[in-house]
Amino acid sequence: MLHGLVVAVILGWAFIFRTHGLNWGEQASNAGAIQATMVASLPLPPTQRTLDTGVLTSEAPSPAPVITKEKTIPPPDPKELAIPEKFTKPVKTAEKAAPEPPKHIQPLPPQPNKAVTGETAGIRVAQSTLQIKNGTASVSVVDRTFGERFAYYVNIVNSKVAQNWYTSEADPTASLGKSTTVVFDINHDGVPSNVRVETPSGSASLDLSAVRAVQRVEGFGPLPQGDHITVEYTFHLHPQ
Amino acid sequence: MLSQNRTSPIGHTQVSRLAVFLLLLTSAASLQAQDWFKTETSSGVSSIRIAAADFKPLSGDPQTANLKKTFDTTLFNDLTNAGIFDIVAKSMLPQSTPGAPAEMNLQQWAVAPTSAAMVAFGGFSAQGGKVVVNGYLFDAKNLQYPQVLAKQYSVDASEDAARQVAHRFADEIIFRLSGGSQGIAETKIYYVKSGGGGKEIWAMDYDGANQHPITHLGTVSLSPRISPDNSRLAFSSLGKEGFQIKMFSIVLNREVSFSAGGGTNLSPAWDPNGKEIAFSSSRSGDPEIWIADPSGSAARRITSFRGPDVSPVFNPRTGAQIAWISGRTDLPQLYIMDSDGSAVQRMTDGGYATSPSWSPNGQFLAFAWDRKYGPGAPGGQDIYVMEVATKRWIQLTHDGGRCDFPSWSPDGRHIVYANTSNGSASGMKVWTMLADGTQKRALTGPGADMPNWSWK
Repeated sequence: MLHGLVVAVILGWAFIFRTHGLNWGEQASNAGAIQATMVASLPLPPTQRTLDTGVLTSEAPSPAPVITKEKTIPPPDPKELAIPEKFTKPVKTAEKAAPEPPKHIQPLPPQPNKAVTGETAGIRVAQSTLQIKNGTASVSVVDRTFGERFAYYVNIVNSKVAQNWYTSEADPTASLGKSTTVVFDINHDGVPSNVRVETPSGSASLDLSAVRAVQRVEGFGPLPQGDHITVEYTFHLHPQ
Repeated sequence: MLSQNRTSPIGHTQVSRLAVFLLLLTSAASLQAQDWFKTETSSGVSSIRIAAADFKPLSGDPQTANLKKTFDTTLFNDLTNAGIFDIVAKSMLPQSTPGAPAEMNLQQWAVAPTSAAMVAFGGFSAQGGKVVVNGYLFDAKNLQYPQVLAKQYSVDASEDAARQVAHRFADEIIFRLSGGSQGIAETKIYYVKSGGGGKEIWAMDYDGANQHPITHLGTVSLSPRISPDNSRLAFSSLGKEGFQIKMFSIVLNREVSFSAGGGTNLSPAWDPNGKEIAFSSSRSGDPEIWIADPSGSAARRITSFRGPDVSPVFNPRTGAQIAWISGRTDLPQLYIMDSDGSAVQRMTDGGYATSPSWSPNGQFLAFAWDRKYGPGAPGGQDIYVMEVATKRWIQLTHDGGRCDFPSWSPDGRHIVYANTSNGSASGMKVWTMLADGTQKRALTGPGADMPNWSWK
């Protein structure tokens, strides 16, 4: 009841005292003007006198801090403080049992590639050492095979005999596919001798050509070691 | 070399089809152990590929650089000239120059592009007027025991000595790797040098270096022949009594006596043991072959046919045979006979043959031959090699102008000869080649003639 009364009063008031006429910005010949008065200076309040010595209140910038040069501190005199000597126990070290490693890399002696039967290595060492003829090898390890030590000599023997094998001497119909083995000695001066057929091929002409191949060789050059070697040489004639 | 050529139909290709197995047995009596190894080749025969490294200078002596260069060049050339190696070009060598075995890295040399089977290297130092050379030869494929050769030389510091040291080292290498034949790097070549209206005997190293005169006779001297021990030089010289055999001692550096005979005496030849000299003499009217001792005494006549007999040469292998040129059937032909004058055998079937030289192993005769002799005939005088046993021959020079005076090297792999490209006698130069006719090169300038290779 009361609420309805209040609302009626407000509405009634607004209806009775409502304004009439133009509002701002409406079409009117005498629009309202704003008057401005120019002044030389605004009457600002006077600045307060401040204390110059105060850090926060001072207007003057504070001076830059003075950078002092670094000074090297002279080293202390070693005798200033006496260091008391420590008592150290003597360290007991065991004597080294291992010998010094060799300066040069020692070549690994070739391992025997067949079973050794009753030979004594000691005799071989003495003999082979005496028989070194080329005077160049500083040989102390003699337990080696001739072919490994003097591979180049084997190659020379190989190529020299091969050079002198005239395969046209062998009868092709009888010899093709067959092989013959001849054995010969090479003496200290490198001259072959005592050529004999070890394993005949069954073709006489092939055997003969093999023997002749060796006989044609005048020499292989002096043996680098030893006073003679025996060579077993197998000739094999391939079918063409 | 020649035997390979001669058998070329069964050469490399066929050998390559053949597997050759090699077993070597060291079986010295019962005391020694039986070491054995086995190797195999199926690729036939190829020459050894060798690399000659520049030697490492071990002293900062400014003189060393020049001497070392001489040494390196000479060693490289010697190995190249040997004719048995496939030598690696310098540009394919590794950058490193090992001076001692410890500095040697063999794998570097064994791989492509070097691919060397053998490496020659070493150190070179000069100090106190001496040159010390340490030379090594390593087998690049045998890493475990690579060393084949180690040599030390100490000689005076001079260009000539550096060259000689290189020759000696090269000969050692060749001796080891050629299967026992001696190298020729230390040999000499004697020849006739014309100049100033006369002809004198000169000598040079096998590679053409160190050319120097031997005689100063002021006359015409021809056909020098060095004795087998390299101590005396026999030649033919024009004097008051015509052409006479003269003897010059290299050791004494002066002429020694040789008995003069009548007539014209030409073309001496030494017996391989140095005890006799065969020569051509017209003292009995017709030029015949005579044999005398090295002082010219006890001369005896070997041939007795109408027509000239000249240019004898002993079989150096046996000393029991003589090859010579005979004009008994009109044009000069090549003959051989036993040294007592028996068993005469004609070798050439025609043409115009001159100047025989017997190979050191007795198997071949080299001679100059104009096979189609006569006016308008094609061809010219060239060097030929004939196998004595079969009389088969091959021609070594072709279309290079007139060639004459072949002479075998002591290793039987090289032939030195005289050649003139324009046909004039003054344009004669001394040339060398391998005995199969390859690797020809001139050793001298024009005016050099009648070369003779020393025996060793």
